[in-house]
Amino acid sequence: MAMRVAFRCVSANFAAALPLRSRVVPQPVYRLSWPRTLTTSSPLSSALKFTDKHEWVRVENGIGTVGISNYAQDALGDVVYCGLPEVGTKLNKMDEFGALESVKAASELYSPLSGEVTEINKALTENPGLVNKSCYGDGWLIKMTIDSPAELDELMDEDSYEKYIKSIEN
Amino acid sequence: MIHFGLHVSRAMFARVAFAACSRSAQCCTYVRSCSRTVFTLGPSRGAVLRSLSSDVFENLALEDWLHNNLDLSEEGHALLLWQNAPVVVMGRHQNPWKECNVGLLREKGIRLARRRSGGGTVYHDLGNLNITFFTSRKRYDRARNLQLVCSALKAVSPRLDVCATDRFDLLLNGDFKVSGTAAKLGRTSAYHHCTLLSNTDRRALSAVLKSPYQGISSNATRSVPSPVMNLTDQDPALSCELLITAIAQQYAHQYCLEPSIALLDPTDENTLPGIRSTTQEMLSWEWVFGKTPKFDVSVSLKVADAIVTLCMNVKNGIIDTCSLELPATWPYWEAGAELQSLLTGSRFCAGDAKLLSSSLLRSCPQTDGVQDRWRDLCEQVASLM
Repeated sequence: MAMRVAFRCVSANFAAALPLRSRVVPQPVYRLSWPRTLTTSSPLSSALKFTDKHEWVRVENGIGTVGISNYAQDALGDVVYCGLPEVGTKLNKMDEFGALESVKAASELYSPLSGEVTEINKALTENPGLVNKSCYGDGWLIKMTIDSPAELDELMDEDSYEKYIKSIEN
Repeated sequence: MIHFGLHVSRAMFARVAFAACSRSAQCCTYVRSCSRTVFTLGPSRGAVLRSLSSDVFENLALEDWLHNNLDLSEEGHALLLWQNAPVVVMGRHQNPWKECNVGLLREKGIRLARRRSGGGTVYHDLGNLNITFFTSRKRYDRARNLQLVCSALKAVSPRLDVCATDRFDLLLNGDFKVSGTAAKLGRTSAYHHCTLLSNTDRRALSAVLKSPYQGISSNATRSVPSPVMNLTDQDPALSCELLITAIAQQYAHQYCLEPSIALLDPTDENTLPGIRSTTQEMLSWEWVFGKTPKFDVSVSLKVADAIVTLCMNVKNGIIDTCSLELPATWPYWEAGAELQSLLTGSRFCAGDAKLLSSSLLRSCPQTDGVQDRWRDLCEQVASLM
């Protein structure tokens, strides 16, 4: 209990130094750091991790599968085209790796991690709507290697992401 | 502070002109923050901007620059008004050969550009006004923006029958499109832009937006063709200059801004650092043609009394695979493999194809019309691009 309080103070101080988005980020950062000591969130876990740009990544056997969240697909509207990179493309975390075009707008995609593209979802060529219908399943976008597993720790887990969504909706 | 009412007579517009400032003064200031350039909006958190250029690549770069650099925190927003000299502008994921007559554009010296936003292909000239609404992602609202445009139009032309559709087009008299919309959602900000046909050359528009190219299969996004009309067909007073004033005034009124338009020079690297390299990117072959989603071309070309089949797969604008089938009786038949090999790996570009063919034609036997056949074939191949 004491440790939890101490952690909260530390992260609050840390959060005060963050620019602009400090109103939103502190809670997820705190939640990511502390549960790590209790549960294994190692790169071998297949739990979903989320970026604040609404991409998710699921890691299995050292390969990350990337897609967009339900919140993102809903905000985008019906996807009509998926512009994805070539296999072999090297990406740094936050690099733009493609774009989705929906009836609402063109929207760029940003890589959650650093790594190399190993596969792209060819089913989206004929059926871009899979991104809407099954954003966590058949509507995945790319698979990639993971150059830096520590980057996963910077992402939000499902609970934190849910809370993040609630905060930005208000 | 001058307040503009919603129903202002046309005569008043001529007298109460918008104060155009040639430097970014009250409405926005340029500030450098950390390592990122930030164009901050003044206390009113809004600005009306106008481009001094009619070059499509400079203007697309300006729009991109503002999208990336405008500080839209605390409900910031901006309006950009711009016009282009004759050009065809495609959506981000479109195929130019499916959308327009690329050869005719080349012939007439009409430029071809690709936007960063989605949507379909349009023709711009100085009789068209482009309007971009910059907001945060949260405040992105195309319907609200189009309502503003309609209000502005009705303020200067009260009997005008103009309304927005659920595809975010603006229709005149219920039937004719005078405006089309496209948009881009970025990390934290968004923009919605639309055209507005004041007095565009409709004959040129129809001619260039008709694709003659056959045999292309692609999953690129397609335009939805619509019959169009100019606003001046209905009300001759609705020139681009009047539209600019009307829309700027409506925006300033709606968002309680100072009635001034900041003029921006998209070639000014001091005020807009990095804009020159964006302009270069927008006009590069790699962006305009190279970003075309992969497509296949499969055609049967008639040369004299023979049929030649050509199949190509094009990725990033480059011919990835090429197969040419010549009939067995085709003269100098062995050069078919050479042409196939020359085309593979080269750009899907008429100019490049002509250059490659000329080297082949030089080695062609000069007898019995052999050169003529090969020349005809090479010209037809180039005309596919």
